[in-house]
Amino acid sequence: MKKLPLMILGILIAAQFAVPFSMIRSRENILRNGELFRFKTRPIDPVDPFQGRYVRLGFENAYVPCSRQVKKKLQLAKSSVYALLETDAEGFAYFSSTEIEKPNKGDYLKTMYIGHRPSWNDKTKTLELEIKIDIPFDHFYMDEAKAPRAERLVRDSTRSTNCWAAVRILDGKAVIEDVFAEGQSLRDLAAGD
Amino acid sequence: MKRKVSAKHTQWLKKELPILEGEGVLSPETSGRLKTYYDENTASGMNWAVAAFSILGSLLMGLGIILLFAHNWDGLARPTRAVLSFCPLLIGAALSLLAVVKNGGTALRESAGLFHSLAVGAAIALIGQTYHLPSDTPAFLLTWALLIMPLMFLLRSTGSYLIYLALACGWSGVAQDTYGQAAEFWLLMVPPIIRLVYLIRKDRHAPDTLLSLWGILFALCISTGIVFEKTVPGLWIVAYSALLSGAGLLGMHLYGDREGWGNPLKTFGIIGMAMLAYLFTWAEMWDEIGWSYARSGWRHRPWGVWMDGGITFVFLAGWAVAAVKAFRRNSIETVTLAVFPISGIFCFLAGSTASNTDLLNALIFNGFMLFLGIMYIVLGCRNTKLRQLNGGMAVLSLLLVTRFFDADLGFLVRGIVFIILGACFLTANLVMARRKKQQEVIP
Repeated sequence: MKKLPLMILGILIAAQFAVPFSMIRSRENILRNGELFRFKTRPIDPVDPFQGRYVRLGFENAYVPCSRQVKKKLQLAKSSVYALLETDAEGFAYFSSTEIEKPNKGDYLKTMYIGHRPSWNDKTKTLELEIKIDIPFDHFYMDEAKAPRAERLVRDSTRSTNCWAAVRILDGKAVIEDVFAEGQSLRDLAAGD
Repeated sequence: MKRKVSAKHTQWLKKELPILEGEGVLSPETSGRLKTYYDENTASGMNWAVAAFSILGSLLMGLGIILLFAHNWDGLARPTRAVLSFCPLLIGAALSLLAVVKNGGTALRESAGLFHSLAVGAAIALIGQTYHLPSDTPAFLLTWALLIMPLMFLLRSTGSYLIYLALACGWSGVAQDTYGQAAEFWLLMVPPIIRLVYLIRKDRHAPDTLLSLWGILFALCISTGIVFEKTVPGLWIVAYSALLSGAGLLGMHLYGDREGWGNPLKTFGIIGMAMLAYLFTWAEMWDEIGWSYARSGWRHRPWGVWMDGGITFVFLAGWAVAAVKAFRRNSIETVTLAVFPISGIFCFLAGSTASNTDLLNALIFNGFMLFLGIMYIVLGCRNTKLRQLNGGMAVLSLLLVTRFFDADLGFLVRGIVFIILGACFLTANLVMARRKKQQEVIP
């Protein structure tokens, strides 16, 4: 009599363990094998009711150039889109263009289309289009005592120096590794205050 | 099945029997037969205090663990944190296995259900925190809800069922906001409805059945409004009227004359109907409703009209079945509940097809509220029920006070009206209390 409920409970518990386990495996794979990119950022400090205190990272280049053909296919907000990645002369990553289909070569990030705006291209002297994309690595969780302090320190330091996030990207998926201000990890910076 | 009599009462009776026997009130045979009857045919109910404290304990522990882990643990290495995230889940799973293997009592099953349900959410949230995942709240709530859904059946746990309902309800809100629609909410409602039907068939008066009914009524009432695509303005008037009236009528059919906590459907239906009728007394509610004002845009899907229409139709069908089953001509309460959605449909159709009907519709529901108030005052006086009398007076006072504020009258007139209403409340309660006392003295 008890065999069936026990079997179902066993399957359920296995599924309950499998979900977080697969989350860990996928992220660990990205952290080990992913390409490292540095993104210029500006942190702010809110609270997640479920996960605790974190530093939200505001990225400078959430707007990406987009061709008219790609925009035509992006009718609904939250549509899936691929943002291609390149690195500038200072070694910081930026999104160079967008594609609807998965790119065959180069590094890219799988993300969502949020909105668009027109932008003036100084080189070609033409009005072009930029789309806003969702940046899926804008949360950096910290100790609840350290997070506001880190935010304050970074706010002061970003006036004169750069602040960036080190992000690993693999097959379009990204995991944030660390956040740096004045060349120092945000955790060390906040702990040393 | 054994009758449930509390152990305290049985012990009292067993102490009384020899005394009654000694004083010649009962013969030794009768006394023996009474003792045998209570030994063989009754069982003590569960100890509610023990169950309540076990449930409260596991709830506090579950929440405590979430808070403890939400406080970030920077000192630990990433792999250690990942492994530790599984700890609450491991304890929850062990408790659930113990409850199933031992076929545990209510206290064990409910504690395991609550702790296990919270542990699943804690594990996912902790992994999210460890790997700095962005807060995808709809995906998080949906995964959590689906992973705990079978617990309500396996552990027969009302706690798991209520957490699942809260998650489904929360998901409907955030999904509607994030994706623009949350029609899948109706699929999420299927498992709790199946459990509820099973409970009602087993024992409709059991506390877990009543608690489950309260839970699903709240969830349906909150989420129906959220998941409506709102493509046809005002269709919610018909849907909510049918839902609340149907609930009230079903309560009368299933639970008869029981009231309050013992009849969640009726209580919810009648209070909901009064609140809805009060909303309908404003002309603004009837402004620009119907198909001619149908909305479009990226937030509204083309199938939204059909979805909303379908949900409204299902509610109306449920209301019609409940009305047929519960309808009694001699019960004014049943007739009022049955008539309420008809008035709603009539006014919605009038507002949709003709212009300038806002005032007429508002007037109809002002009349309905007036009738509702008077009906409950009369019923309260006739049945000597303070709850009905005060409910009726509350409805009537609310209507009068609101309309007096609308009428832009001076402070003096308003003051006098408030004093008269207060005096009516006090007098009616005093008279009723005296009448009740007299009835107790002269049975």
